[in-house]
Amino acid sequence: MSETPRDPYADRYDDAEPGDGLRDEPTTPVAATPDDERLRADDSPASARAAVVREAPPAAADDDEYQWHTGLNRPTGVADAVEFIDVHKAFGRNKILRGLNMGLPEGKISMILGPSGTGKSVCIKHMVGLLYPDEGDVLVHGESVPNMTDDELFDMRKRFGVLFQDGALFGSMNLIDNVAFPLRQHTDKSEDEILDIVRRRLDEVGLGSAHDKMPNELSGGMRKRAGFARALVLDPNIVLFDEPDSGLDPVRTALLCELIQEIHEENGGCYTVITHDIMSARRVAEFISVLWKGRIVESGPAEELFNSENAFVRQFLSGESQGPLGME
Amino acid sequence: MAGWFALPREWISSFGEIAKFSGKILGQVYSLRVLHFFGETLRQCGVLILGSTLVIWGLVFIVGLQCGIEGAYFTRAQGAPAYAGVFAAWCDLREIVPYGFGYMMSAKVGTGIVAELGSMRISDEIDALEVMGIDSVLFLCATRLLAAWLVLPFMYMAAVGAGFFASYLAVVQQIGEVSSGGFSLIFWMFQNPPDLLYSVIKGMVMATAIVLVGCYYGYHAGGGPVGVGTATAKSMVMNIVLVHLIGMLGTQVFWGANPRAPIGG
Repeated sequence: MSETPRDPYADRYDDAEPGDGLRDEPTTPVAATPDDERLRADDSPASARAAVVREAPPAAADDDEYQWHTGLNRPTGVADAVEFIDVHKAFGRNKILRGLNMGLPEGKISMILGPSGTGKSVCIKHMVGLLYPDEGDVLVHGESVPNMTDDELFDMRKRFGVLFQDGALFGSMNLIDNVAFPLRQHTDKSEDEILDIVRRRLDEVGLGSAHDKMPNELSGGMRKRAGFARALVLDPNIVLFDEPDSGLDPVRTALLCELIQEIHEENGGCYTVITHDIMSARRVAEFISVLWKGRIVESGPAEELFNSENAFVRQFLSGESQGPLGME
Repeated sequence: MAGWFALPREWISSFGEIAKFSGKILGQVYSLRVLHFFGETLRQCGVLILGSTLVIWGLVFIVGLQCGIEGAYFTRAQGAPAYAGVFAAWCDLREIVPYGFGYMMSAKVGTGIVAELGSMRISDEIDALEVMGIDSVLFLCATRLLAAWLVLPFMYMAAVGAGFFASYLAVVQQIGEVSSGGFSLIFWMFQNPPDLLYSVIKGMVMATAIVLVGCYYGYHAGGGPVGVGTATAKSMVMNIVLVHLIGMLGTQVFWGANPRAPIGG
């Protein structure tokens, strides 16, 4: 694993403003409550979590910052593929994750929803070991990501497919080489087999006729779809989508959501979508985690979250202007 | 008082980070792990050959002309125009070719590496490599260093030839105060194969430093396009300083104690 003496992500949070969840005013650490301990104790990779219900906000929440964070985690009946256990992450003075406890169930399409700049993309980077927590642990199929050796980490990553916000296609390769790249690096398949797989994946995302184009000749939506094809080409167990709907028109967003559902039905596995688009959440989510200020507000099966009594969750999932979340 | 030490401390810290990162890349090349991506190495060789050869040879040819002209007029002013070859031999082989090579490597190859890797960093391409289970330092940096080592010695020696040819043209054909044979006699008398080897070592140490610095600043670029621009500028400053340090040390080590000149028997 490449060690970065200077964190290349740190500057992305330099513009954070007080109150936006990225930069903290001087705070006292939020003490763990008995419920926090129950959450941690319940983070067993082998078993599905039981529901943990808080009836009162955390006792040590300063200035009621976490009054809406009930930490309620409704049961799904399946084990978690990925678990965050009391994860803290800061970039300089900017605390991004502040005691995050979250599980992403196996075999379901999960969505991590939350306001902009609240740490959703940072979560993805922790799952694949691009970032390490300052405190806490991240488990993938029960294995601790921060404690892996470099070789273990590279092996673990082969189980992942990641769709980055802009596709992250390699600018020096055409589309077919981009999608074929993981197959050429990690399999012993013949070139004919590789090209068969690649063409099938490109057809699935509607790019069969654009296979010889370079990334700079593609629109944003096409790059995203190509990134999707590349993310799926090794048939990964866990697929992460970082805002797949950003910059897409509503029709293309709907089509992309359908595509995610179809491929999930075909392949199974833990699919995780990061977004703040509620329509996408209504279309594809089977499990939702609402993240705000570096912690989970509530999480559970989608239909239950959409009927939540929590004022913040209700406001966010209905997109209303009135409620706990303001412009500050 | 602490303020006085802040800047040097930052420089030392930065130097330490570059040294650590460079050590990792060198280790990956020496351990031959880089051969896992030999195809990418060959592609980088192609990029170097097609993108940088002519411009490096062109620059060295021009400075070779300058060495020849300066040498011819200087030796004529001393009343020994036949000895223009001494100036040309030393100027070309020992100083101007390594410096010209270093400058153009910094400007063309070093900044190119920073800009390319920096763009890959800010567009998440490096992260994409990592999450595919590929060691991005190995794939992006070690392959570039190995490609430089494979291609640049030959490119450098050909550049030396371009510099020699340019000096010959200036001294013999343009100014014409010494015959072709007279120029060649003195020119070859004042250099021998070890001098060429030392010159190549000088150039290759410069090239290695430039590639490593370019990889460091590109790989760790951040802050969007502005950050990539800043990293490119910083790498250029660092590389120019290093080129002169390596040039000075090389001259001291190879010719400082013994000028290797056939004077006085």
